[in-house]
Amino acid sequence: MSSDYDFDVAIIGAGPAGLAAALTLAKAGVETVVLERGQFPGAKNVSGTGLYGPVLNNLIPNYWEDQESFERFLTTKKITMLSDNKSMTIDVDIQDFKEPPYNGITVLRPKFDRWLAKKAEEAGAMILPDSVVDDFIWEDKQICGVKSGEEELRTKIVIIAEGSNHLLVEKAKLGHVPKPRHHAVGMKETYELSDEQMEQRFSLIGDEGCSNEILGYTKGIPGGGFFYTNKNTLSFGLILNLKSLTKKKLKAPEVMEHFKTHPYVQKLLQDAEMVEYSAHTIPEGGFKDMSKLFGNGVLVVGDAAGLVLNAGLYIEGMNFALESGRIAGEATKLILESGDFSSESTKIYLEKIKKSFVYQDMKTFKKAAKFLENERIFTHYPDLITSLMDKLLRNSGKPRKRIVTTAIKHILKEGKLLKLFKDAIGGLRSI
Amino acid sequence: MSETKKPLTIEEKLALTKFTTDQNYAHITIKPEICKANCKTFDCVYGCPADCYKFAEGEDIEGPVIFDYVACLECSSCRIVCPHGNVEWQYPKGGYGVEYKLS
Repeated sequence: MSSDYDFDVAIIGAGPAGLAAALTLAKAGVETVVLERGQFPGAKNVSGTGLYGPVLNNLIPNYWEDQESFERFLTTKKITMLSDNKSMTIDVDIQDFKEPPYNGITVLRPKFDRWLAKKAEEAGAMILPDSVVDDFIWEDKQICGVKSGEEELRTKIVIIAEGSNHLLVEKAKLGHVPKPRHHAVGMKETYELSDEQMEQRFSLIGDEGCSNEILGYTKGIPGGGFFYTNKNTLSFGLILNLKSLTKKKLKAPEVMEHFKTHPYVQKLLQDAEMVEYSAHTIPEGGFKDMSKLFGNGVLVVGDAAGLVLNAGLYIEGMNFALESGRIAGEATKLILESGDFSSESTKIYLEKIKKSFVYQDMKTFKKAAKFLENERIFTHYPDLITSLMDKLLRNSGKPRKRIVTTAIKHILKEGKLLKLFKDAIGGLRSI
Repeated sequence: MSETKKPLTIEEKLALTKFTTDQNYAHITIKPEICKANCKTFDCVYGCPADCYKFAEGEDIEGPVIFDYVACLECSSCRIVCPHGNVEWQYPKGGYGVEYKLS
């Protein structure tokens, strides 16, 4: 094998996973290049916008001192259930989350990814925008570089961080074309909303932020809506399972418009001006649907590896991307030192990630993906709960019954007890 | 509650997003003859968040679905939902395609 390398490491994709790897490697003095197909890092990227602070702080200590790194600190989490014209919200406000390193922050990807790229560049990594990787350079069944148009870059290790549409993971023979039941489409609308209006609508003060996950009113399609508060903009989106969506013969943008007709959503979007529309797929297949994480001369990180978790209360994507990228960076440093770039050596990345919360959480919640394919969770139970609240609160001019009696009667009448029991067990097992 | 604004159409929504169209290269191609011969479900029409896939109307058409890549958000739903593996999806050339600013 030729010993002429253009760089030690080529990273495909300047999102959180690729950039975390680049930053870690550059800090260790490894010659690293990041090839980004977008016009700049973040130009092609879409996400809900919530990110855990401790994970980012681990990568970039005191990140919050940089105003560009975040929009708001998440202090409030709302979980809302919708049915026809009713809604019920659990509203949790934890003021301790306002202390560094801050439990969660909101970010806008074109801004956040560019900031992270700047940090990697300052550490010595080279970031090349407008650079599409078409294929790999192979030698004796080993990847030893990338092809981008006419250009070839020879490297010791390639890290694939291309995101959920993992064309190159497939070319590297580490994964298959994704299946619709394991993938969701996320549509997002960004709205201009003044800080004053935002703070009023979401009960926030100063830098405080809110994330709001919404269940129900998706025409029975597994998925849900979300609101995230930024600085002067509000992120609103809807995530829909692709198998269920297409099986029901409903068009994604039409389900989004239907969702927006709910009074709960309408009130929060009232008088706000839409400024951008975006969409992306999300790998939600969980533990069983992960790609192979390593091969000869190659590692896979973030969404490209399927390292995404949807376990209801925990929705993890960018955190896993940052952490898997950081771990891949550390592993690559050891791989380079060993001088062996084959899978015998690159498997150290798997060993390292197995010890991290990324892999452990994927494993702990491995039953969640299947459980959340159950359509009843997205129609029947929001209906059941909101209609029970209606019954309890409504004044009918008649004497009231005991709350427990009303609740039991209501659940027996509407609840299909056996299924409820089965779903409750399934839910408990998966979380 | 003040008066509700008329919802934006999908075309109006897509007009808010910046695209640099590559006139010489379609990053997604479908073979209409495969759609015509094999497809009964048209999952691409339902899965696409940008309405890039439409049912063909009128005569003189190659297949049942018409596709236009110009306002593609590069989400990859079509590639995932097509049961016939008939969506050939490549990355747009560098500098082209969607460019988000606030997502």
